[in-house]
Amino acid sequence: MTTTTRRPTLQRSTLHRTEHRAALAFVAIPVLGFLIFTLYPLLYSVYASFTSWNGLSAPIFVGIDNYIAMANDPYFLQSMWNTLFMMLGIPIGLVISLVLALALNRKMRATTFFRTVYYLPVISSIAAVAILWQWAYNGDFGLINQTLAFVGIDGPNWLQNTATVKPALMIMAIWKGLGYSMLLYLAALQSVPRHLYEAAALDGAGTIQQFRNITLPMVRPVTFFLVVTSVIGGSQIFVEVNIMTPTGGPEFSSATIVWYIWQKAFDNLQMGYASSMSIVLGLLVFLITFIQFRLNRRNQFSIE
Amino acid sequence: MTKSRLTAATVAMVATAGLLLTGCAGGAAGAGDSGEKKLTFMFRGGPDEQKAYEKAVGEFEEANGVDVNIIVTTADQYPTKLKAAIAGRQIPDVFYIGPGDLQAYVKNGIVKDITEYVEGSDTIDLDNIWDHGVDSYRFDGELIGQGAIYALPKDVGPFSFGYNKTMFEAAGIPLPDVDEPYTLEEFVDVAKQLTKDTNGDGTLDQWGTGLNVQWNLQPFVWGNGADWLNEDRTKVTVDTPEFAEALQWFADLQNVHGVTPSVGEAQTLDTYQRWMKGEIGFFPVAPWDLSTYEKLDFEWDTIPYPAGVSGETSAWIGTLGIAVSNSTKHPDEAVKLVEYLTANEEAQQTLVDAGIQIPNLKDMAETWAADTSTMPANKQEFLQIVTDYGRGLPGGNTYNGEWYDEFFTNIQPVIDGKMTAADYLAEVQPKMQAFLDSANQQAGIGG
Repeated sequence: MTTTTRRPTLQRSTLHRTEHRAALAFVAIPVLGFLIFTLYPLLYSVYASFTSWNGLSAPIFVGIDNYIAMANDPYFLQSMWNTLFMMLGIPIGLVISLVLALALNRKMRATTFFRTVYYLPVISSIAAVAILWQWAYNGDFGLINQTLAFVGIDGPNWLQNTATVKPALMIMAIWKGLGYSMLLYLAALQSVPRHLYEAAALDGAGTIQQFRNITLPMVRPVTFFLVVTSVIGGSQIFVEVNIMTPTGGPEFSSATIVWYIWQKAFDNLQMGYASSMSIVLGLLVFLITFIQFRLNRRNQFSIE
Repeated sequence: MTKSRLTAATVAMVATAGLLLTGCAGGAAGAGDSGEKKLTFMFRGGPDEQKAYEKAVGEFEEANGVDVNIIVTTADQYPTKLKAAIAGRQIPDVFYIGPGDLQAYVKNGIVKDITEYVEGSDTIDLDNIWDHGVDSYRFDGELIGQGAIYALPKDVGPFSFGYNKTMFEAAGIPLPDVDEPYTLEEFVDVAKQLTKDTNGDGTLDQWGTGLNVQWNLQPFVWGNGADWLNEDRTKVTVDTPEFAEALQWFADLQNVHGVTPSVGEAQTLDTYQRWMKGEIGFFPVAPWDLSTYEKLDFEWDTIPYPAGVSGETSAWIGTLGIAVSNSTKHPDEAVKLVEYLTANEEAQQTLVDAGIQIPNLKDMAETWAADTSTMPANKQEFLQIVTDYGRGLPGGNTYNGEWYDEFFTNIQPVIDGKMTAADYLAEVQPKMQAFLDSANQQAGIGG
């Protein structure tokens, strides 16, 4: 108490210092977490990508051998291609979810019920869902082929056929992600100011014109966000592939890049090679995202 | 101000790091200081295995005053979790290991050489355990199958062959001999007789067989005198005429003889379901199928696999081992735990009763096989595979199984009849050889 009256300035600064100290201690926790669990592993995997490492003993430095091997590895290229191919599902999923969001944005009964129905797959465990779909895709008695049989179509053995296994996985991924994109679109649609539509209607714009000139531009930020996150997520598709086609599918036709990395690292004792592939994947994802941001900025200029 | 902030940051970081460290140290010290010995046992398996092992572990804890911490994972997650534990230097004291991983784990000093412990042990009698089981975990630095012991078998899994007895009787076909294997021609002949349309609706609803190439090709290849590798496991030998003949014959079952469900229906799950519905004449029978097959509403039994030109039947044996970590603080107790898990009679009985494995102990297995009141009556076939004519899967004897997986990756066109076996084998051999060479090079053996 006495100190307070005598040296107020100093007191204030000590108070600040303790507060700062406490604040920094709190800040330190996530920073340390980031350093230990993200930055260190990241840097280590960069190092590991230049080594021959079986994951059991110490890595041995081999320079760029892994990267050379990668360029000559047909399975690496094929799994990259498979991953890219499956990303074709992303635009399809976005269109469907926008249509759904438009439908559910109208004044009608049971919208909450439908929202729940479409959102349910999002919160379901991917492993459980994958097993469910594996059964649904069964060529003999699967739900999908039985349904197709009703309309006279003899369905393929989805997961065992090189031509259908990728579409089968894409359909499932679209179904799983639909609710999430739909919800975001719904929120975006509801925040579009009413007066824009009213003004357009007064000027004689029809429904289609309103959709093209008001709705689409207004939900654009959401579309951008969804495209970016889906591409990042889609390049890492793994769980459903590993569960539904544990051997990488017929003739390696559903093996994705992350599945291949995982298989090399944990099944075939090539952690070093696996690290180098994940570095390449990481760089590619970074590059694609960078380009997307660039394109988005340019498009925004053209709108203004 | 900047300086004080920096100091504060450093203090905070050191303090937090200190907290983390003491947190970790606390765990380790707690185990050491209490005077009680603590072991970690990591394995994978279903509820039956858990039940059996918890019992055996409990007994072991009581007898030895050791505390065992059990970690169970699913089969899928096991390799990932174990490798993560190894990379993090938190290796469990006792854990499962497949023969396919043994070489790498020994070379890298992960698993302990337990030869001395088990040979001088009074808890376990090595002579009473299947040779194939123990030999699968011997390694002399070059070849699996000889040298020091690095693990004991959790089980041995003879993959036998079975037939639907009820179907044979209905068709009036003489039952197959349990000692004299069919020749390949006889097998096709019988399978043809069994393949028919029983209800007269114009489509087949009963087939001779329906085999999955990945799990059923081996006996026919071996039975035809061919193999995947040469003796010292440095050369892939799939491009021989005998091998091509066996693979072609296997594919022809479907494409030429038509004794299996059609291409679209021929996946494992489906033929497995069809066998259980009584629509398939011949189908593989593994020990882990016994509990499921017990509920089948037809009679069935086991027989030797048909033999090719070698005239001898063969089959593969799966196995999983239990190893001790090289870094364990209590090797004596850890090895003793392995012995309990391998040879504890009660635990073995629980597993056998659950219908998921055959006994690990020879004398116990004899008693089990002598009981012909439950199916299959010819349980002896399992024991003959283990003691007499079974072999380990080809991929299990090398540093990694990549070369072996490659064999099956693109095989479907052969099975579908779109490519001849000889063409395929000529094409796949160099690719497999490249994988094998790189595996052997990693292991530091061969060329």
